Amino acid sequence: MKLNIEGLLVYFPYDYIYPEQYSYMLELKRTLDAKGHGVLEMPSGTGKTISLLSLIVAYQKAFPLDVTKLIYCSRTVPEIEKVVEELRKLMEFYAKETGEVNNFLALALSSRKNLCIHPEVSSLRFGKEVDGKCHSLTASYIRAQRHSNPDQPVCRFYEEFDAVGRQVPLPAGIYNLDDLKDFGRRKGWCPYYLARYSILHANIVVYSYHYLLDPKIADLVSKELAKKSVVVFDEAHNIDNVCIDSMSVNITRRTLDRCQGNVETLQHTIQKIKDTDAAKLREEYRRLVEGLKEANIARETDVYLANPVLPDEILQEAVPGSIRTAEHFLGFLRRFLEYLKSRLRVHHVVQESAPQFLKDIFEKVCIDRKPLRFCAERLQSLLRTLEIADIADFSAVTLIANFATLVSTYSLGFTIIIEPFDDRTPTIANPVLHFSCMDPSIAIKPVFQRFQSVVITSGTLSPLDIYPKILDFRPVTMASFTMTLARTCLCPLIVGRGNDQVALSSKFETREDFAVIRNYGNLLLEMSAIVPDGIVAFFTSYVYMENIVASWYEQGILENIQRNKLIFIETQDAAETSMALEKYQEACENGRGAILLSVARGKVSEGIDFVHHFGRAVIMFGVPYVYTQSRILKARLEYLRDQFQIRENDFLTFDAMRHAAQCVGRAIRGKTDYGLMIFADKRYARADKRGKLPRWIQEHISDGSLNLTVDETVQLSKHFLRQMAQPFRQEDQLGLSLLTLEQLQSEDMLKKIAQIAHQA
Amino acid sequence: MASLSEEVLLVVKKVRQRKQDGTLYLMAERIAWGPEGKDRFTVSHPYSDIRCQKISPDGKAKVQLQLVLHTGESTTFHFANESTALKDREAAKELLQQLLPKFKKKANKELEEKNRMLQEDPVLFQLYKDLVVSQVISAEEFWANRLGGLNNSEPAPYSNKQEVGISGAFLADIRPQTDGCNGLRYNLTTDIIESIFRTYPAVKQKYSENVPHSLTEKEFWTRFFQSHYFHRDRINTGTQDIFSECAKQDEKGLMSLVNKGVKNPLVDLLSLEDKTLDEGYGLKQALPSTSNTNKTVKESSNAAIIKRFNHHSAMVLAAGSRKNCFCHHPFTDSSLFSSEVPADQASETSSTDGNSRDSDFFQPPVKKVKLQEAIEYEDLQRESKQKTVALNLKKSDRYAHGPVPLQSQKYTTSQDIINAVNCIQQEMAHYKPNLTQVREQNSNTFLPSTEMVPSDIQGELKHLYVAAGELLRHFWSCFPVNTSFLEDKVIKMKSNLERFQMTKLSPFKEKLQRQYLGTNLTGHLEEMLQTAYGKFHIWQTRRMMRKT
Repeated sequence: MKLNIEGLLVYFPYDYIYPEQYSYMLELKRTLDAKGHGVLEMPSGTGKTISLLSLIVAYQKAFPLDVTKLIYCSRTVPEIEKVVEELRKLMEFYAKETGEVNNFLALALSSRKNLCIHPEVSSLRFGKEVDGKCHSLTASYIRAQRHSNPDQPVCRFYEEFDAVGRQVPLPAGIYNLDDLKDFGRRKGWCPYYLARYSILHANIVVYSYHYLLDPKIADLVSKELAKKSVVVFDEAHNIDNVCIDSMSVNITRRTLDRCQGNVETLQHTIQKIKDTDAAKLREEYRRLVEGLKEANIARETDVYLANPVLPDEILQEAVPGSIRTAEHFLGFLRRFLEYLKSRLRVHHVVQESAPQFLKDIFEKVCIDRKPLRFCAERLQSLLRTLEIADIADFSAVTLIANFATLVSTYSLGFTIIIEPFDDRTPTIANPVLHFSCMDPSIAIKPVFQRFQSVVITSGTLSPLDIYPKILDFRPVTMASFTMTLARTCLCPLIVGRGNDQVALSSKFETREDFAVIRNYGNLLLEMSAIVPDGIVAFFTSYVYMENIVASWYEQGILENIQRNKLIFIETQDAAETSMALEKYQEACENGRGAILLSVARGKVSEGIDFVHHFGRAVIMFGVPYVYTQSRILKARLEYLRDQFQIRENDFLTFDAMRHAAQCVGRAIRGKTDYGLMIFADKRYARADKRGKLPRWIQEHISDGSLNLTVDETVQLSKHFLRQMAQPFRQEDQLGLSLLTLEQLQSEDMLKKIAQIAHQA
Repeated sequence: MASLSEEVLLVVKKVRQRKQDGTLYLMAERIAWGPEGKDRFTVSHPYSDIRCQKISPDGKAKVQLQLVLHTGESTTFHFANESTALKDREAAKELLQQLLPKFKKKANKELEEKNRMLQEDPVLFQLYKDLVVSQVISAEEFWANRLGGLNNSEPAPYSNKQEVGISGAFLADIRPQTDGCNGLRYNLTTDIIESIFRTYPAVKQKYSENVPHSLTEKEFWTRFFQSHYFHRDRINTGTQDIFSECAKQDEKGLMSLVNKGVKNPLVDLLSLEDKTLDEGYGLKQALPSTSNTNKTVKESSNAAIIKRFNHHSAMVLAAGSRKNCFCHHPFTDSSLFSSEVPADQASETSSTDGNSRDSDFFQPPVKKVKLQEAIEYEDLQRESKQKTVALNLKKSDRYAHGPVPLQSQKYTTSQDIINAVNCIQQEMAHYKPNLTQVREQNSNTFLPSTEMVPSDIQGELKHLYVAAGELLRHFWSCFPVNTSFLEDKVIKMKSNLERFQMTKLSPFKEKLQRQYLGTNLTGHLEEMLQTAYGKFHIWQTRRMMRKT
């Protein structure tokens, strides 16, 4: 249908529309109009992606000068591919309605592992191996060597692409990962480099968060993306953790040992080059004297996305003299390395800030702050000059150099924790230096600064106001949308007591309590008898799940559950879990029914949907608090309190509830879907917890279902499931949660729609 | 009176029944007892009639065996030979124990089959009501040629019976009971053993290797229950334990399952993440995967439980879904497993390493379908009409007229004609009219003005047609009458037909008259009956003539 969103003609590739989709598009358009940032929460399964795409594409077509590019970031590879498929649907609809040939170029970008078509390289199993191998075939000096030595193996796909691929831009169309590979095979071009090259002139780019948020990758891939782009972070409820992860560094003894090896290798290489080709090193020296002028000019003229590892100030200066020559720099690295080694020889936990660390390093080994800041850049230059083939081998020294630059650049937002051993195994010495980022805004700041509109959206973003705080930006729109339902297809229940009135909770004090474990087992057993097909149960942590499963086994509860359903359990091994997941789905599919025991914050809870019969009930055993004894977490909480005035408890609860919401939200993936959401912990009943659940879940929790016993839960569930099993047709939804164009245009409906968006 | 063909399996003397001494015979198909000194049996029960046997407790003075029949009656035998009473009874019991299940299954199966047929086919059910319940013909006659093929060979449509899966909790159903003196007792049934074998082929293999050469069956199962294999939380693998090998094999099977990877890319956790952080970056520490040593015993036993639960569920699922393929599972899997290794080296063994390559080739379609499924919003689309396949006729006249013979052929020799006749006769012998299929047409052809006739009358007429058809079929199947049995039958059928006309057709006709409906509705029925009578008459007069 064709919609009129405040004067903008939007093609929507379906015959009907959900009211909240309309409302969502309204808010989104206002965000784009204001050229600002937005935070939008809309329940999963209400067609968020297609609404986003429809509106932004329409906007791009209407105002091609204001919005030149859409950068759509998602979390996982399947998500990325889904987005592209939805986009394809939209574009087909455009072509059908307007009769014009599509002139949009949209493509997905992923790592080499998913795009490589080189027969040898693509057969490698791990992403890192693929990257390394690819680099060894395509690096510029390798290819230069081929001129003198034709036996040097190179990648023919890259050669072909390099020879002709850049001359003609990729023809307009929608390219998913497989399409790119097909195209690459047909032309004999490398799809990965083709995609990387093409994102510069593509209208729509779909890729993973890391390509924007991880400075190491963003610098390579996304540096030159146009300023007038709209950036969308979908499934963004964990975006702060992604930011933090990309800026944090852990250094162990092993890292240092490998780093030592790297330095030795560098030393040898330098010696060799000095004997054969001293001019090369002199050339490098000259370049370093001139400084990083080029980068500086680029950034001033606003061509590049800023790199948080490469702060503005150092661009204006030349590399300091003390590390300009290769040997001096190596000596410098050695000293730094020795210092780090000495720091790891501690017997007690040390926590200090970056300035304290810098002071200490100056006192002990006379290393100044300034050369440290240039460390990363200097190393890159050296590696380029020395024509190192396999960059992956030098990951350790790169890590150390990055750490040096970060620690000397940011005085705030980072902390250094040195732990001599793991808390669980205090007898085994395993010293680790954690350099952990506590401020997610550092990594995402360049994105907000560079791009015109950044939209953060997810099914679970409540409470909305916390994201602008921790990411440090000012949104122009913040809205949470509810799910209009013709029938209440979700049934959140809070189980607070067992049948014997024992309070159910996963809190630390009662964690080992057999009464609680038994009652949890009872709950699962009873549910397994009444819920059809699949049940997914989440535990707060892996250790907790292991213990509970063991004691359920001893008590014979699992055997009784097996009478009703097959049991599959998430393990720490991803391949094993994938197998279990597939078997789980098979068991649901063939009618046997199954239970999947899984872990909140685990891979399953983040990336797998349990649509329809794959998840008729989700049981959340306990509140998934993060492990609070971790020093890194404590430091982060302290930082949040001091910097953003967020109380520790508020943040912990927020974090626990967003994960709980993610877990239970896995079961509902649309309005025709239905599922039970069982929160098995009495603490969920408290207002501070409940209030942090997304609005679309919260509004279905009745006062009567706040502290149920297991038996009551079973009764309510039975009732709910029976109701839901009745046939549900499209007519039942029409006019309520599903609208035709005419219905959408009526006054009444527009008024109602205005209430759907809940401004935070 | 014992017929000659019967095989006597066991003879027990001095068995009392109703205070009379006698001899008990266990034969191939029945159990019988005759009083002493007489050569006829006063008690004789086919095994299929027996529901169960009961024995008197060991301590009792009288050593007795009771047979309970399906009808509820029971017969008690008292073994009276003082010295060997107990032994006699045991022997009889053992033999019965072996024999009864065989017959029970057969009897039940027959009943079940009849029941099922009646339930599935409402027309047949109606026919049964019309003919059997109203005692036009007996139940045996009714079933006689319907179930004909059932006992000997399964009829084709039912041969692919649905496989019964395995209960996920079959191991849990083996409840150990304490026997009071520091021991445990497990009760195993054949069902459970079969479940174990189907789910764990490795155990079956062990069983066939060891029983009965080196272990008795009892010892085998005792060891099974003692092994860590049964107790999933035990991890120590003793070398003497014959099941440690099973565990290893299972482990291997699981490994190969894992290595095979998953077909559905949406659940493949390995390729979910697009760009993992490099080593050393990020908040979360790498898992101490290499340092297994510092795991506590408890932790690793927990991990073992989890692993085995996953494996168990996968095996149960596999055993249920494709029993046949999985019987030789450990071998196929191990070969698969080994072929995985050279996959990346050699390209000449492309047929074996095709596994990995093939999956690569086939992946996109699965992926496409799954992706499309994932992005579909069925309620946002207008309900699509049922997709039908358009009939595409290349030669429409051929469709309208059916195939025509290319050329007419003349029979030249008499041999040909005889062959053809034989052929037709053979065909006819197997011909089975499917009355339920033709009834629509009947009522349509003979009721040109259906709107004139009320629907209940139509229904009744339909039933009459079906019933009459059934009777006539019985009648006509008697010809040519060449045995005395058929002679009896044809006479009985004739009377059946007459009775049918009297009790069913005539009242219906009167009813029609009362409602002023054309009596010609039953005309065709009567005609058919008359033809039958005519045939019967001719046959009878011929017979008379032959006799005289």
